[in-house]
Amino acid sequence: MSVAVDKAPGGRKRRWLSPSFAIGAVLSLAVVAMALVSYLWTPHSPTQMAILKRLQGPSAANWFGTDQFGRDVFSMIMVGARNSLAVGLGAVGIGMLQGTVLGLIAAVRRDGLLDHVIMRTADFTHAFPAVLTAIMMTAIAGPGMLNAVVAIGVLNLPYFARLARGAALQVWTQDFIQAARAAGLTSRQITLHHVLPNIAGILVVQATIQFALAVLAEAGLSYLGLGTQPPNPSWGRMLNEAQTFMAAQPWLAIFPGAAIALTVLGFNLLGDGLRDAIDPRLRRSR
Amino acid sequence: MTTRRELLAGAGLAAVATQMPAIAFAQAKDAVTIGMTLEPPTLDPTSGAAQAIREVTLQNIFEGLVRMDRTGRIQPCLAESWEIAPDNVTYRFKLRSGATFHDGTPFTSEQVKFSFERAVAPDSTNAQRQLFTPIAEISTPDPATVVIKLKQPTASFLYGLTWGDAVIVAPASAAGNKTNPVGTGPYKFARWNRGDRLELARFDGYWGPKPALARATFRFMSDPQAQVAALQAGDIDANTNLSAPEAVAQLKADPKLTVTIGRTEGETVLATNNAKPPFDNLKVRQAIAHALDRKTIALGVYGFDVQLIGSHFSPLHPAYVDLTGTYPYDPEKAKALLKEAGFPNGFTCTLKLPPPSYARRAGEIVAELLAQVGIKAAIEPLEFPQWLERVFRNKDYDLSIIAHTEPLDIDIYARDDYYFQYKNPAFKALIARISGTLDEGERNELYQQAQRMLAQDAVNGFLFILPKITVAKAGLEGMWTDWPLPVTPLAELRWR
Repeated sequence: MSVAVDKAPGGRKRRWLSPSFAIGAVLSLAVVAMALVSYLWTPHSPTQMAILKRLQGPSAANWFGTDQFGRDVFSMIMVGARNSLAVGLGAVGIGMLQGTVLGLIAAVRRDGLLDHVIMRTADFTHAFPAVLTAIMMTAIAGPGMLNAVVAIGVLNLPYFARLARGAALQVWTQDFIQAARAAGLTSRQITLHHVLPNIAGILVVQATIQFALAVLAEAGLSYLGLGTQPPNPSWGRMLNEAQTFMAAQPWLAIFPGAAIALTVLGFNLLGDGLRDAIDPRLRRSR
Repeated sequence: MTTRRELLAGAGLAAVATQMPAIAFAQAKDAVTIGMTLEPPTLDPTSGAAQAIREVTLQNIFEGLVRMDRTGRIQPCLAESWEIAPDNVTYRFKLRSGATFHDGTPFTSEQVKFSFERAVAPDSTNAQRQLFTPIAEISTPDPATVVIKLKQPTASFLYGLTWGDAVIVAPASAAGNKTNPVGTGPYKFARWNRGDRLELARFDGYWGPKPALARATFRFMSDPQAQVAALQAGDIDANTNLSAPEAVAQLKADPKLTVTIGRTEGETVLATNNAKPPFDNLKVRQAIAHALDRKTIALGVYGFDVQLIGSHFSPLHPAYVDLTGTYPYDPEKAKALLKEAGFPNGFTCTLKLPPPSYARRAGEIVAELLAQVGIKAAIEPLEFPQWLERVFRNKDYDLSIIAHTEPLDIDIYARDDYYFQYKNPAFKALIARISGTLDEGERNELYQQAQRMLAQDAVNGFLFILPKITVAKAGLEGMWTDWPLPVTPLAELRWR
């Protein structure tokens, strides 16, 4: 991110600490912290059933209550955070890595056959409704966390391909690229040493926003029973199971629902804040 | 553009609506509205397997020679009486006189012959054609007598005649029964709004006692929450079987409603692939049986106590014997048995689950209970067509959970190539003996032997009986609590 401009136009200091950015950072960090802590400690085991304690409301012993099998909802949400983040990370990783490589190749071969093939394929993929395609893919490959990661990752690919290509094309027109070229560097060397570092910031911003969408997509797939499988806790599946108990045990739906909403909100705000800081030209008028 | 006509129509509706409560009140005492989860695909029980068809038509529109009562016993119906000759294969039915079909056609022995020959014909679409294959010959000495000769003694023959597949239909109306059913029952078909409701009206020419209610409506509500709301609001007077067990506590607390938890013929089992290692090892199956805490499983699935089973038999049958103590819950014993079987550290396997929520929920608990003794069962949810294809047909599975809802179906364990792959010649011989034994006491004795054999061999994990959750308005009497056969006889209903 060090490549980003240091000053906003007019010499005004960057606004790292806009309130929404701060809220986003706090929420995201909280979710990450919760996921990390869950590796070391949870109040109860998230898979341990205690049928006699089923469907109890929030209490000192079970902060968020217990589900229909007597499992501790708070512990399940902590471990669910781990799964949501893992899917988000995996999916964005796949999309960002491959999308960026393809976008950079397309930029080097601009208006060539390869460029057209890559970008039209990206357009084609992009044109399908994302979650619907993920449902189709997991329905074919079978439900499961890994398949969900791949399905959501593939859908992320065109976003990064288009973004990388567009940003790279801009960089390619700069004078220092001409200089590098005159010095005898190959297209590959220029891409790796000059283009990529200059577009990394904007890719990270996009990654943060895609991350929020991936978490949401995972929750959607799990809600439909196509994502993370039991006994591994998942926010989406918790919501699905909660719906039949909603009238009498609303906490079963409220807590995982809030976890999803706050995580998505947090990463979205974080992404917006980063974008404002890194690329002031994209800043929305306030 | 809102036209004047639309406005007038709206005003007209409002006028009707204001009069409706009065009408509903006046008629409440001789009509009933019953909620159901699934809508029948057709109304002909002789050409489709769907349970919903039987739930609405059997003992209402259609009748058989005999019927099953609420305690699971066979009672006379269109046959007033019958006798079985000493050769054990000749059944002589004396038919009810004065019975007529809803279209006025008199009921005679000819229609019995027609119905059974139609059911067993090569082009028959009867879902239980095997009920009729033992028949060698049907003769009709006079309009009020039918003599049926079987190929060999078949103990379950009479029992099968209580099913919806064996109802008596008339040659003239049989083809139209799917949408315009004509039977001999106490209620006749009135109207069917697909996707919404089926209306029946009392048949004034009925041979038997006059039913108390003049009209009955079945309403189809696939969403269990909508059923709960309709029951609480009084929009429906009762339901046949509520598919939302989590609402039971809430409905029980409502003084306007009575809730009963009954039993069905649905034996829910942890189906086990007996031919596939390590499940071919009796010790492994015994270990699984000792690991299953049935009470916990049932409570986790339903939230209230349901009937637990120790073999593949419903307590609604007089031959039932309680075998839940054969391999009691004992995780230490399970671990020891696994060690003896050569799996001191347990093993991994898959648990393939079909969509019903009882299977998915029981699956999660079973996986946890198995994990406690070292068996790591990975849950694989399947859609129903996939389940039928992979588990039921191709036997490509380790463990699965499913309820077998056909009544008295212990003989499936004697079938060649059935998906449990329990290939036990001794059991097959026992089932063959049962089929040839017409003396009820002797037959029940043999049924008990069969139950014990399955329990001791731990063929499957035997879990619980699917409950029938009946909710009815406090004043409505006569709903069946148990389901020895999934039917809703409207003639037994009355308002207090």
